[in-house]
Amino acid sequence: MNGILPVSVLEPTAEQTQRQTAEIFSRKEKEAKPDVEAIKAQLREIREYSSANLPSLVNQFRESVSKYPGVKVGVAENASQAIKYINEVAGETKLVSINKSTVVTNELRSGLESTGFKVYIRYFKEFKDFDKVIQDYWQLPGLSSQGLGQSFEITTKIAQLEATEVRDYIAVVGVNAVSAEDGQVFFLQHFSNISEDLNEAKKVILVVAIDKIVKNWEDAAFQTKCNGIFGLESMTLDLESRVVEQYDFEKLPPLPQGQKREVHVLILDNGRSALLSGAQRDLLLCLGCRACVRQCPIGHHFVGDGKVWSPKSYLWSFLLGTNPSTEACIHCGRCYVECPVDIDLPTLMWRAQFEHYARHGRTPKKRLLDYPELLAELGCLAGPIANWAIAKPVFRRLIETMAGIHREAHMPTFHHESLRKWASKRKR
Amino acid sequence: MGEQKKKIVYYAGCFANYYDPEIGKSFIEVMERNGFEVIIPDEKCCGMPMLANGNVKGAAKNVKFNLKSLTRAASPGYDILTTCPSCNLMLRSECVTFFDSEEARFVSEHIYDASEYLNKLNRKGELNTKFGRMDLKVFYHAPCHMKVQDLTYESVNLLKLIPGLSVVKVNTACCGMGGSYGMKKVNYDLAIEIAGKVWEEVKTAQPDKGVTECGGCKLQIEAGTGINVVHPQMLLREAYGSY
Repeated sequence: MNGILPVSVLEPTAEQTQRQTAEIFSRKEKEAKPDVEAIKAQLREIREYSSANLPSLVNQFRESVSKYPGVKVGVAENASQAIKYINEVAGETKLVSINKSTVVTNELRSGLESTGFKVYIRYFKEFKDFDKVIQDYWQLPGLSSQGLGQSFEITTKIAQLEATEVRDYIAVVGVNAVSAEDGQVFFLQHFSNISEDLNEAKKVILVVAIDKIVKNWEDAAFQTKCNGIFGLESMTLDLESRVVEQYDFEKLPPLPQGQKREVHVLILDNGRSALLSGAQRDLLLCLGCRACVRQCPIGHHFVGDGKVWSPKSYLWSFLLGTNPSTEACIHCGRCYVECPVDIDLPTLMWRAQFEHYARHGRTPKKRLLDYPELLAELGCLAGPIANWAIAKPVFRRLIETMAGIHREAHMPTFHHESLRKWASKRKR
Repeated sequence: MGEQKKKIVYYAGCFANYYDPEIGKSFIEVMERNGFEVIIPDEKCCGMPMLANGNVKGAAKNVKFNLKSLTRAASPGYDILTTCPSCNLMLRSECVTFFDSEEARFVSEHIYDASEYLNKLNRKGELNTKFGRMDLKVFYHAPCHMKVQDLTYESVNLLKLIPGLSVVKVNTACCGMGGSYGMKKVNYDLAIEIAGKVWEEVKTAQPDKGVTECGGCKLQIEAGTGINVVHPQMLLREAYGSY
């Protein structure tokens, strides 16, 4: 292999989006709609192959990408090793631009900052005067099932990671998919931040979490496209004018012509291989599209904490030990409904929590609520007295202290005669 | 020998049993008006609140009891019906996922939500549709656990069979209650924030009544709007009664 590592950036062009959307809405029922279920089936096949062949795909990708002259390959078993690698690459440079990648933002950013890097996400600079229209999930139009799949095409192909204007900073960018067969790298971008970083940064570090490695470039392109198809609407939930410290990378003076750029591929495991033998193995099917955010009722609560949030990343950070619990999950099951590859996140969330309780125990408040039916039986026995008591502030404060039930929560009233009692009397 | 009566097995769940027995009484009457005898076997809490609280052993014990009891009751080939979406989800899916057994799979294969079952009867032309007129505007809230089982519109489709009744709004946003999730001090503020959207929609729709299958959703909607929220089975019973 003599060429330069092919890096493709997929993005929906405005023209294409308009045309495709118009086509979707004007299409008559009798005409064939793109089959979302077929897209999901193909995607599931890609993800299952990737999960089932993880170790061999990692080796194959490593070999493939090493054949590109000029590309340096690093392997990090965990986040600390990745930070160490980036530090060695960076040398004196302490300025870093990252993309809004879940892997880089959630797993590497804090480590980079704690080792002295100034880290910025250029993505948010686009929202200086942005008027947030989509406030929460119920305002989303639900277009993913109507054929927006056609609107994502490869519109930019950066065949040569060579630039005319190189600036003195490091780009640490998380990829959407890579091909094990030939090392090709794929990104999805909604704006221009990734292209800018690929074109301008003196040193580019392409972070490849091992679950982003798929069989070949066709699968990698398809998976990246699916990130757009299924994740588009979730992305709009994040769009807001937020106070994020920005750095004007464009104002950095270009380095003198002829500056040699560096391209690194950093293969990151960080707990992913360990999933293979455990109860959370299905997490390896995730393509990172964040469709699970689309209807998550608690998602809005987490936007703006500096991390890229999704129900999956919430669980993943718990498994990595960077988040103390998954108890904010309401277990509504909506993430499972949205997932294009049918990952049963609510079940995985519970399994992780159960394992945690088995190791660390549960609080006395939790134990007090262990037998809800017993409380209901006692309440029914006491009937009107129980109802009188739960209406009294003094009892509510007591319940709040002992069982953690909020004093103002609307509670059900007890019936002295339960349904079963009524039914057995009726039978007689 | 006369014609053998059709039978179904009813798993009532804690809410219909202890907190709102009218749900169960309505359901039994609705089924009887459709020619069914309702068998109520012994039952314990379905175990979902215990799982949510991390009490896996307690949940396992209840599940074992329920599966045995339901399997025995339904073994002649009867279907099992529930009126609570969370109990339904537990018996249909979670029992198989967490406590798989032959009985778990038997129950999972024979279980229906009450509205789902009545719609099934209607499609076969076997539903008693002698509903009296009810001039009523209702707001329907689809509980998350109906939604995730692809049962969002089952009750709406049934209620539309009642002359005069109009479903002015179908709300599919989460209400934030999640069983006892929204009652807990640690989640209370977030639950109220989540509920805000549902409350706003109720106020805009100005219905005469709210309708939902889930006891937790009922409490949450009533808390924020003051509207009376009933189970669809209660409206069906009323409609049969006024024929």
